[in-house]
Amino acid sequence: MGSLDQSGLRTKSDGGLRPVSDGPMAADASGSGFFATRADWLVNWGRKNSLWPMPLGLSCCGIELMAMIGPKFDLARFGAEAARFTPRQCDLLIVAGTLTWKMATAARTIYDQMPDPKWVIAMGVCSSSGGMYDSYAVVQGIDSIMPVDVYVPGCPPRPDAVIEREAPLAKLVGAGGPERDERGTGKLIFQPNHGIARGVLDKHPHDPKGKLGLGDPLPRKTEIK
Amino acid sequence: MTSNETRETSAPADSAPAAPRWAAALSGLEYKQLVGADGMATLEVAREQLHALLAALKRAGFAQCTLVSAVDHYPKAPRFALTHQLLSLEHNERIRVRCWLREGDEHAPSCADLWPGANWSERECFDMFGIRFDAHPDLRRLLLPQGYDHHPLRKEFPHAGIEPDRLYRQWDKQRRAGWNAEEGATR
Repeated sequence: MGSLDQSGLRTKSDGGLRPVSDGPMAADASGSGFFATRADWLVNWGRKNSLWPMPLGLSCCGIELMAMIGPKFDLARFGAEAARFTPRQCDLLIVAGTLTWKMATAARTIYDQMPDPKWVIAMGVCSSSGGMYDSYAVVQGIDSIMPVDVYVPGCPPRPDAVIEREAPLAKLVGAGGPERDERGTGKLIFQPNHGIARGVLDKHPHDPKGKLGLGDPLPRKTEIK
Repeated sequence: MTSNETRETSAPADSAPAAPRWAAALSGLEYKQLVGADGMATLEVAREQLHALLAALKRAGFAQCTLVSAVDHYPKAPRFALTHQLLSLEHNERIRVRCWLREGDEHAPSCADLWPGANWSERECFDMFGIRFDAHPDLRRLLLPQGYDHHPLRKEFPHAGIEPDRLYRQWDKQRRAGWNAEEGATR
């Protein structure tokens, strides 16, 4: 569980739970009944301890996601058990499973419908990198269609692995999150597929064209501008 | 069809097995009877007689059409082996019907009028192989997005796809154009 204690608050050694010293004004520590802090710190502290996930269970990772929210692993310990099935009430999109290109438009629409600020977890290798589906039908990493904050490896990852990865995410949320523009695109903390040229996919080593002697790639029937 | 997959039933006349139950129902139709490597009776038929043969088999008790698919035998010619597999629960029998289709002429009669469940099987076959089914009530792609250009189970199709994100990028471009129009209207 990393440095999260049972209440979901960050421990003192990790720099959390110190609103007094984080705020611009020093509180009166003599017990006079108030403390001062920054409003954005307080808002972010609330956000990171009450993430509302939008579960996008696309394949077997969805089962682990259900276990994660269920009583055994109990995501409620970290305040993130309130899964909502409309993106308009959520601030954490968990893409759990294999995203196909046919589903990609729907997934991006869901991301767009979530109100800012919002965060994305790519759960499992399929959503992180396409996984074993090196295929014409599968998106090779959801970071090609939306910004991703946290990647969780595993096929599928255990629920506690996802919960462990919530800790750096909570840190991110508590810090105000990555800078994004209003469209939700912006700086990413880590993007492994970034920079891969699109043309790479057209020259796959398993392409049987060489063997079959067909020469040039198939002609494109409709031209994109 | 290679010899290790099927063999013709050329039994000597003195030990000829009894004619299969459904043989009488197929009188007047031209077909070649084979036996698959799995022992399943296989009928090869020309495209012109395919629908009549399937209808006769349905009358003979094959109430279920369990599979409509194809095999790409590139670079052989004819290239596509359109395959129907039928099941008779009543008689505990299965039968396979194969119809060879040439490249550039890959269309076949639909059997969705005989077995309504064949509708989606034929749509999937069209999706994956580009085989068109004549008189199909709704011949659209079943699994891949509408507007996709290619038929992935054809042998010349690369495994990683050809610009697999093309349709998404088209959609994304329209979406962003919509945003820009909104911003222009509000300013």
